[in-house]
Formats: sequence, structure tokens, C-alpha cells
Amino acid sequence: MSDISTAAIPAPKRPALKSHRFGFLLNLTLLALLVVLWLALSVSTRSFATFGNFENLLRQDSMWSIMAVGQTFVIITAGIDLSVGAVVGLTSTVIAMLLAGGVPIWASIVITLLIGGLLGAINAFGIVNLRLPPFIMTLATMTALRSFGLLITDGQTIGGLPLKFILFSSHRTLGIPNLFIIVILIAVPCYFLLHRSRWGRYLFAVGSNPEAARLSGVSVNRTIYLAYIVSALLASVVGVLVASRIGIGIATTGQGWELQSIASSVIGGTSLFGAVGTVIGPLLGAMLLTTINNGANLMNVNPFWQGIITGLLIIVIVYFDQLRRRKTR
Amino acid sequence: MDNPAPRPPTDAPILELRQVDKRFLGTHALKQVDLAFRQGEIHAIVGENGAGKSTLIKILTGAHVRSAGTILWQGREVALASPLDAISLGINAVHQEVVLCSHLTVAANIFLGDERTNAGLLRDRAMVAEAQRLLDDLGFDLRADAVLGDLAIGQQQLVATARAAARGVKFLIFDEPTAYLTRQDTDKLFRLIRRLNGEGVTIVYISHRMEEIFQLADRVSVLRDGQKVATHVVAETNERELIRDMVARTIEEVHYKEAIPAGDVLLEVTGLSGPGFRDVSLTVRRGEVVGLYGLVGAGRSEFVQCLFGRTKRSAGQVKLRGEPVTIHHESDAIARGIALVPESRRDQGLCLNMGVGFNLNLPVFGRISPTGLVDTGAERRGAAKQIADLRIVAASAGVPAATLSGGNQQKIVVGKWLNHGAELFIFDEPTVGVDVGTKVEIYKVFASLLKAGAGIILISSYLPEVYDLSDRLHVFSRGTIVASHDAKSAHPETILTEAIGV
Repeated sequence: MSDISTAAIPAPKRPALKSHRFGFLLNLTLLALLVVLWLALSVSTRSFATFGNFENLLRQDSMWSIMAVGQTFVIITAGIDLSVGAVVGLTSTVIAMLLAGGVPIWASIVITLLIGGLLGAINAFGIVNLRLPPFIMTLATMTALRSFGLLITDGQTIGGLPLKFILFSSHRTLGIPNLFIIVILIAVPCYFLLHRSRWGRYLFAVGSNPEAARLSGVSVNRTIYLAYIVSALLASVVGVLVASRIGIGIATTGQGWELQSIASSVIGGTSLFGAVGTVIGPLLGAMLLTTINNGANLMNVNPFWQGIITGLLIIVIVYFDQLRRRKTR
Repeated sequence: MDNPAPRPPTDAPILELRQVDKRFLGTHALKQVDLAFRQGEIHAIVGENGAGKSTLIKILTGAHVRSAGTILWQGREVALASPLDAISLGINAVHQEVVLCSHLTVAANIFLGDERTNAGLLRDRAMVAEAQRLLDDLGFDLRADAVLGDLAIGQQQLVATARAAARGVKFLIFDEPTAYLTRQDTDKLFRLIRRLNGEGVTIVYISHRMEEIFQLADRVSVLRDGQKVATHVVAETNERELIRDMVARTIEEVHYKEAIPAGDVLLEVTGLSGPGFRDVSLTVRRGEVVGLYGLVGAGRSEFVQCLFGRTKRSAGQVKLRGEPVTIHHESDAIARGIALVPESRRDQGLCLNMGVGFNLNLPVFGRISPTGLVDTGAERRGAAKQIADLRIVAASAGVPAATLSGGNQQKIVVGKWLNHGAELFIFDEPTVGVDVGTKVEIYKVFASLLKAGAGIILISSYLPEVYDLSDRLHVFSRGTIVASHDAKSAHPETILTEAIGV
């Protein structure tokens, strides 16, 4: 109807900051949930609250955390990146091949990360320049990249990686596992990029109202490129780390991780409708999923339950997100 | 028409349109518009809905690119091909519908695209403080750190204005800025406009509220059907003259209407009130068109939404075919033979990718598939009957609705409800955005409906249309019927005056 929205509008003065509070409360709830889970697991299993297990937990967590942060950048623009799992698989294979071929470690890492960034740019090209829906474009690259990895390795496992490279992932610095240090080294700049830079602001603007962003002189296209490049770049970091962790290159690595990263991000409060998300949220979300995984293993729970728990968590959290949207609209 | 005399060179325009033309698919939105805005003036633009005002703004702000013509900025020709072009010249607009990011804070919106940074990092606190200073300075009772989506629409409008004021604007366009504002907020806005104008900003002010134009503007231009018909100095004109310019008719616009005798009463509404309207009484007989005219926000659509069961009535009675009825839900309305033909038939009326026959049968699939399986014979017969009765021009019942002309699409929407057995048709702006030929086709659909014994409620913001087609015309203003006229018993100028409520 042409003029239904013009009914008398009340004008509340000095409104409370509702929207800010929701995200904060959600993060607090997640943190509380984590602490409760940890306590429960410490009480109910002898092995959870050990140094070795905690270290293991952090190592497991670091992969999904890094991917979830990248995924969050994309989801904030109201997009989705299904290709990250395949990017992990391909880049872990690429770096294994480079290292096995004798390329120095530093050069192998740089080349791999460059390839990761390029893969993100390819996603963005399809979405921006070919105007494909993000779901379709990244579904296509997910499928293609996975096969490409199998093609270049002929389905074989790549071994013979330098010991120094492999040991990195099992060592610790100042008592903290190296892999988790990488999480911090990535989360901090990502925090500044997303929450403290104008580029981060534009990610939110594009996710909220691309037309408003455009009319403000924001380059919507460049912003979308940024989001997908960050996502794929972080996935390629995970590719490097995973190659170090398992010590070989397997093209099928990271299968299903795109869904883990989306789940972590959404559980961490990122709205699939765009313009809502933080860096801390996906970190907490990934930690929660890792803990559920780890705890279920320790308690000898049938591993098939893990997926069911994750699924229920997603439904509950997205339902609350929907409620919030209905109120603010 | 009466173009103003050539101006002395001291009135050098800051922005000038020459023969600017804009065509969209099927519509000619602006026709060779010549318009000059003088440095530092407040220039009002008036015109009926659909006269081309919105298109004009979009061209001035670079959101749309003109199809032909030239634009001069301070005497130099400019491209004005993107929003960035307009912003960098100092052209900004406050839109009727707020175009901001509802998830961001007020301060973030004010500085969007123009953030304050320090070594690449946002200076959020400084921006909030600066925005707060600006808002306080303007007398807006708003918090700069509030999230925009938490504010009422009127307040968001003030934010949009503050935002334009914050970025060194030279030429500021207001598109119906007061539509959602309270009295006090309107006063604040006017003070702001005068202040900006005092600082040398050229203001373009678009409104259908006459009193605002006489309060604010130096000059006023009238648009009608995409053409500029006149520019007046406000001090030398009056409301009557402006209204006459807005509704003046040309011969080709006379609308097609057959005389059909009215039958028994189909719908009788007495004292109906609901959200956004109050105390509406009207009667629709078979074979009759009842027109509802009013400006956007006058309550016509709210009334129809309630009649159709989308909102709850708070008082009054509705009788259908002589029996009192309560319509709780859209499905009640549909079951009782009321059909709503929405304004945007492509989005709300049709499944565009599906076939003509599919669309014609959409409301009756339940009836023609008693076993759960669709009776394809009944489907084919139903579609064939409507295609023949309404003379829908389609290669076959299988071609997608999207491939048909606008008029034929409108016929499908009507046909599907006829197929269902509807007798009371509510048309919401049936001819918005269609060309003259399609309009005639749609009017023919009206005639065949009336002959078949249906009654029509016609909502239109286009006065010539309701004026010509209605057997009775009710004028809405501020939520209720302020005047009712039998066919052509009142002059169009009177009707527009009543609707504006001066």
C-alpha cells in the first residue's frame, strides 16, 4: 500500500541504547555458558582440567576461531562465504607442495597467503562484477577449489615437510601454544580493522543499507572485496597452520569447516541479515563449539550428538536474533 | 507555458537544468525540464504525486542519470553521474524516506563516508562529541551515541538533516521532510533551514503543504506530468494559482468511462475507525466506482487495510450485501468476495515467472483440487474463461505473466479474483507508473467489471483519474473523510484544496 507507514508516529525522547546492549548480553551469556561447561566437565571427567587437555583445546579452537573471524567480516556485509573450508584444503596442500619442493618456509607462507587473498578476490569478483549471489558464487568456488586440490595432488598425500615447520604447531611461547598466539595476533588487528577503522565502519554500512552507503560516497564494491579477501586470507592462514599441525598436505582437509565457521560466527552473535557482529563473538562461539566437541569426546558421548547440539544452539540463537529484528523494525 | 522573463545577470543560477529528460522502462518521468536555482534562494517545488518530483531529486543527487539534457553548476557543465559527483559539488538531499544505516549510531551516520580518523583509526569519541555538539546546536533533543534504528522515524529525519548540515553543503534538497515530523520538530527543522540559507546554502524544498511553502520559499516551481509548467515568485502568487497549475488539464487526459446504471448496495460502511483513520462512512453499489482521494498519509490506505482485515477496527460497522460482517483476516475478506488489487502488482499481485493460467487459478486451487490433485480440466477452463472475458492478450495460458504488457498484467490480477467470485474490487493506485495506452486498457477492465455487477473502490493520488472515473468521490485528509462529491459535482481545484486542508 502506498501510505500505510505514515500513521501517527510516537516520538520517544532520549531512547535507551537497546541495540548495543543485546550484543554485550549475548557475549556475556556465551562466556557464562563456557565457564559453566568448563566447570561441569572438570567435575565430571578427570582428564578435562589437565594442562595437556587445555592445551589441546586451545589448539583445536585456534583453527575454527580464525576462520570464524574471517567469516564474520563477510556475514556483516549480509553475505556468506561457503568456500573457506575448501580454501583451507587447497592452501594446506599448496604449502605442503611448496615446502616439499624445497621452497624456504617464509617464501612458502607468503606465496600461500597471496594465493588465499587472490581466492577471496575471485569470490568478490563474482559477487561484485558478475553480480552473482554470494551463496552461489562461494558454493561454486567451494566445489571447484576442492576438486582443484585433488587434481594437483592427484589425490595423494604430500609428505616430507621440514621438521621446523611441523614443530611450530606443537611448541609454545611463554607457556601459550603457538597456534593460539596466532589467534591473538590475528584477532587484535581484526578488531582494529572492524571496529576502529573506517573500512570496518563501511562493512557495517554496506550490510545495513547499501543504498545509504552508496549515497554517502562509500564504495560498496571495494567494501565487499575487502570482506571476501579477509575471509579467504584468514582461511589460508588456517591452511598453513593445519599443514603444520598434521605435518602433511591432504586436499580434503577442512571439509565441512565452512559450516563450523558460520556456526561459530552466528553463535557469537553475528546476524545473517548483516550489519551485526563483533570480533570477540566468533572467538567465543568457536571456543564453545570446540569445548562441546572436546567434552563429548572425553565423556565418550556418541560423536553424532555433537552436530545435534550445535544445530540446536544455532536455532536458539538465530531465533533470538529474529525476535530482536522484529522489535527494531 | 508561462516561463519567467529572462533574468538579469545578477541572478546567476548556481544550478541549472536545460532540457533534462528522463525515461524509465515504459514511462517518461521528466520531459524537457528547464529549471534554474539561484544562488542562496529557497526554491520550492510542488506537484501532484507522480508529477516527477522524486525523479528530479534523484537526478540532482546523482542517484539516477538523466536520459538527455545538460546540467550546469555555477555556469559550468557537469556530468552528475554518481552520488559522489553530487557530494563533491556540495549537493546533498534529505529524503522523504530516511536513507541511512539503521544499525549504526547517530554519530556514525552523520559522518558516514567522511569519518574523522587518527593514524587510520576512527576517532569515535571525537565524532560522537562533535555530532552531539551539532545536534545540541541545532536544538535537536537527540543522543549522538544512540543507534539510529532505535529512534522514531521523525527523529531519524532530523538526523538526516543534521548529517547534510555537517558536510559543508552548498545545495540542499528537502523531499517532503515534514511528512513524519511533529509540530515542534517541524519548527526546529524550519529554523535549521533558515539558518543554512542565511549561511548561503541554496535550498530546494519539496512539499505538498502549501502553508510551508508560503512560510519558507522565495520562489516556487510547479511540475505536472513530468513537465515544468511554471515558476512563480512566492510573494506574487497564491495557493489558488499553484493549485490551478498543478491540476490544469490537457485534452488527451480525459478518461474513458461508460455510463452504467447502479444496482443494489454491495458495501455499506458506517462510522468505521481504526489505526490511522476515524469515522469513515461510505456506500458502494453494484456498477459503481467510489473514489477515495487524498494525499499520501491522509488515511485512505489505512482505511482500506482495515476493510480488508489487515488491521483491527476500533469502532463502526461494515455491511456486505446487507448483512453485518466482521472481517478479522485477509482470508475472511477474500472468502466474502472482496478483492484487493495492490499498487505494486508485480510484487504483490502476480507470480511473474509463472504462467498466465497459473496466476488466474492461484486463489482457486483449493476449490479445483478436491482430492489434492489439481483438476487440470477445471484449471484450463477457468483460465480460458477469464482470458476470453477480459480479452487478455497472451500467446497462450502457459506464457509467463512477466512477458505481458502492464495492462494485461492488471487484467490477470483482476481475472484471478473474478475467477474466485469476487464482487467488490479495491484498486490501490491502479495506474501508477503505466503509460497512457495501458491506462485506457485498465479503465476498460473497470467497465467490464461494473457491467458484470461488481462494485469498485478506487484509491488514487492522481486527481484527474479519480475525478473522471468516480461516481462518488470521498476526499480524505488527516485520517477522515472531509468532503464527499457526486460525479463531477465539484471543481478539481476545490477537491485538491480540501485534500490539502488549507
